[in-house]
Amino acid sequence: MLKIEERIVMLPEACVANILSFTTPADTFSSASVSSVFRVAGDSDFVWEKFLPSDYSRLISTSTHKSFSSKKELYRCLCESILIDNGRKIFKIEKLTGKISYVLSARDISITWSDQRHYWCWSHRSDSRFSEGARLIMTDWLEIIGKIQSGVLSPSTSYGAYLVMKVTERAYGLDLVPAETWLKVGNGEKKTKTSYLSCLGNKKQQMAKKDEIFGYYRREPEMREDGWMEIELGEFETGREGNEEVVMSLTEVRGYQLKGGIVLDGIEVRPKPQKLSC
Amino acid sequence: MSTKKILFKSSDGHLFEADEAVARQSTTISHPLEDCCAKADDEFLLPNVSGNILSLVIEYCKKHADVGSISEEDLKKWDAEFVLGMDQPTFFDLIRASNYQNIPSLIALTCQTIANMIADPNEIRATFEIKNDFTPEEEEKGHVTPVKSR
Repeated sequence: MLKIEERIVMLPEACVANILSFTTPADTFSSASVSSVFRVAGDSDFVWEKFLPSDYSRLISTSTHKSFSSKKELYRCLCESILIDNGRKIFKIEKLTGKISYVLSARDISITWSDQRHYWCWSHRSDSRFSEGARLIMTDWLEIIGKIQSGVLSPSTSYGAYLVMKVTERAYGLDLVPAETWLKVGNGEKKTKTSYLSCLGNKKQQMAKKDEIFGYYRREPEMREDGWMEIELGEFETGREGNEEVVMSLTEVRGYQLKGGIVLDGIEVRPKPQKLSC
Repeated sequence: MSTKKILFKSSDGHLFEADEAVARQSTTISHPLEDCCAKADDEFLLPNVSGNILSLVIEYCKKHADVGSISEEDLKKWDAEFVLGMDQPTFFDLIRASNYQNIPSLIALTCQTIANMIADPNEIRATFEIKNDFTPEEEEKGHVTPVKSR
């Protein structure tokens, strides 16, 4: 009669791999230290194939990276983020959850009048992974629209869309009227909010504090880890399946004020941090 | 449509009979049947599966073959009860058998059950009484900080 311990150690690698494929990337990484069977199973292509996005072969075919020694290596590479779609987008997966995020470059979104040299200037930026960023010279009609299909994202996930931008030193006209940010999924309701395009200087911050007491909250760009700023355009949930068009936008077309001095890197669509359940 | 019966012989010589629809849930059975290298009257020899486990597999497949008669929710409840209270040796033999006979839904059920228990390496070792077979050097080399994903 076999002892329990002997039965378990004899579990074939294929079975352990099957079990791991039902866990998460985080669990698979951490279970590698249980025993050598777990480590070998946890390195297997079978497991990482399950964690990779289903269209990964299409994704890597449009990027500069071509060959990988294993699916686990490919997964790790995607966690570092890759340029796809001929450099127009950045694709990334979150290491521990396997959730997908995208950054649409400035070239990949619609910026009204950005083809006009007097209004917008396109140039290479050393602080961006994209080949070009768009800098606003002057406009009274700011209209930025990005689109993404929900089907390319991870299912059953809460996502946020963010305009990635910077404000240059010589910016003007950004403070006067807040911009409108909105997001719409398929034929659903358009969810609208407002946000200012720049942050208040110190003197003005003290004046704004007075407004806070009366419940007026001033939304502003927030600092990111990569040195850029971001403005949240909206949030949405992806269903278990389905493929709808998500439209994300920032517009300022009501003030008719001339403004200039913002730089756009693109729009990021990333999972929102999961709320901890009590 | 006639319900052909398929015969199975377990490693310990027990004979079992099942409807073709039940047997077809295993691709190691359905492929030979489709490729015409096996006929319904043939005995399928399963040297890797004992009679005890095979009867559990057939019980599972019978329940899952009749998709129209039971709601998805009730089927899930039945699945949960099916695995609940099964002792570890039996449960692990069931995993092996479902892998060997390649029954996707049973593989999913059994693996998901264990997957839900996986938390951190020390807990895994304790739950399943697995011996840590790494040398201290190997362990140091492959050290990964355990992370709770839930």
